[in-house]
Amino acid sequence: MTPHARLNTAVLGTGPLGLDLIDRIHASPYLNSPLVVGHRPGSRGLAQAADLGCVTRSGGIDAVLDADRSVDIVFDATNAFAHPAHWDKLADTGAILIDLTPTTTGTLIVPTVNGHQAAEHQHIGLVSCSGQAALPILHAVTSRYPAAAVEMVATAASASVGRASRLNLDEYLDTTQQAIRDFTHAPDAKTMINISAAAPAPPFRVAITVITAAPAPADDITTLTASVEQKMRALVPGYRVRSCTSEDRTVRVVVEVTATRSRIPVHAGNLEVISAAAIHAAERRARHQEAHS
Amino acid sequence: MNPPTVTVHDSTLRDGQHAVRHQLDADQIRAYAAAADTAGVPVLEVGHGNGIGASSRQVGLSKTDDVTMLATAREAMPHSRLATLMLPGWATSTDLRSAIRQGVDIVRVAAHCTEADVTERHLGVIRDLGAEAQGVLLMSHLAAPEDLAEQCQRMVGYGAQAVCIFDSAGTYLPEAVTARITAITTAVDVPVAFHGHNNLGMAVANSLAAVRAGARVLDACARGFGAGAGNTQLEVLVAVLERYGHPTGIGLRLVAQAADLAERTLMPAPPTIDSTSLVSGLAGVFSGFKKPVLAAAQRAGVSPWDVFVELGRRRVIAGQEDLIPEAVNTLTSLGERP
Repeated sequence: MTPHARLNTAVLGTGPLGLDLIDRIHASPYLNSPLVVGHRPGSRGLAQAADLGCVTRSGGIDAVLDADRSVDIVFDATNAFAHPAHWDKLADTGAILIDLTPTTTGTLIVPTVNGHQAAEHQHIGLVSCSGQAALPILHAVTSRYPAAAVEMVATAASASVGRASRLNLDEYLDTTQQAIRDFTHAPDAKTMINISAAAPAPPFRVAITVITAAPAPADDITTLTASVEQKMRALVPGYRVRSCTSEDRTVRVVVEVTATRSRIPVHAGNLEVISAAAIHAAERRARHQEAHS
Repeated sequence: MNPPTVTVHDSTLRDGQHAVRHQLDADQIRAYAAAADTAGVPVLEVGHGNGIGASSRQVGLSKTDDVTMLATAREAMPHSRLATLMLPGWATSTDLRSAIRQGVDIVRVAAHCTEADVTERHLGVIRDLGAEAQGVLLMSHLAAPEDLAEQCQRMVGYGAQAVCIFDSAGTYLPEAVTARITAITTAVDVPVAFHGHNNLGMAVANSLAAVRAGARVLDACARGFGAGAGNTQLEVLVAVLERYGHPTGIGLRLVAQAADLAERTLMPAPPTIDSTSLVSGLAGVFSGFKKPVLAAAQRAGVSPWDVFVELGRRRVIAGQEDLIPEAVNTLTSLGERP
């Protein structure tokens, strides 16, 4: 078997998410070891990335533009305030930008729902961690039973919510609600997030409520969610439907996601679900380019 | 030295909403706001029980939208300052701007007691919009005094002009309040507020302990209107402060009349410390869980007492109402897949 032509990558941001992306890129047959770009020189994250064998630079997005080799795919694991400027600078370079921050600036992609579109867009948005966990279920349920209203409450362990996420809660809510409306066509979409300080740290959890226009038989909902769970577990092994009920035109599904990665604590399924989606989108793109080269 | 002035922060039209599943209408809000203003209540807090933007199936849909609630209260109060509450992760800066446009003077930004850094952005937005920004730590019994003090320092660093600890579960005894307020007043130089719940019958005593430890703002609700056992009872607190010589600027007879109006027009019955409220206080679970717990326990045929003990074991916080069925299932050993 001939090896795949690998795409060159860059990772912006050196938090736990950035480090997990590095691991996944190193394991991918389609992606070359990334250029890892941080904000400050000498940061702990950059030192860790260098230890993992990556070329590292400080100085943000300009370091990607000034890189010795061309970059095909840039993963943005910084924050929603910084992201729009990253796109402004990359748009004309032709590089693919995969946004792990909560913005609606790119085309919103959820692998098991519209992952095939990942190969067609230069700017891909991954909604949010809870969007990646909830939208596969929401899409499956509302495709069969149109929704009058959707509500989703996420609970993430305190240790899994970093400073950037805490400052981006507004963007997180707005982006997740926008994606729910786009993917479900529900006229009314509401999202909330709790940050739990409970010990031991609880797994990442999304509680989904769908008010359906017509009654949805419970056994049908169980079948639908089991099928989503199976598809999701191929990407995110710790994805689990915890409960699932349907009565009085109200469908309630609770999903929990535990992490299975070496660099992510087990409770932080929120990080795993979005980093898995990012790599999925990048590999789709790589396979598409290979097929059309 | 004369006893210091205490600012009484009336939460009747915000925290009381928990007792009526957030169903207050504009007429109820207008009448109580006018009565509180007449009584000289300096600050009246209004909104959904969980703050602006929180109307939802998870914690209850509001009967009246945020803008209508705030505009109605504003119009009814020529003198009193109007306050509201928001939780980052439940409401956004858009909700803040909309609230402040309705004439809100004070916005409290609330976070779980160990998570003050989520308030950074919104405290800044409130200051930028020219309103007074206050920081609130919820479920404060879950953090040690020195940790609360450090969290309060952070909020002051983000721009909080006052800091407040909530006894969300009504679980404090006065000594615990003294230790916490002392630690906080030592650490910050802005006014410190205490918000009591009455599950153990200690709300007024705890509030007094807070003042003696240096708090200068006390939260209270007419007739104690609030979830479960209710809150510090406003008219009783004003009377006790008056007896101890603390000026409040509130007319006692007039605030008692406002409380009579509240009992007649806002609540089916005044709060009482029933056994469920007692156990929720003992278990350290947010009082707002009472109604959903009673409903879930009845459906499953289990004791609400046991459900509260189980929820306390899980250290649940407000907003985690989706864990109630799980707690019930633990008791019945049925339900969720292993």
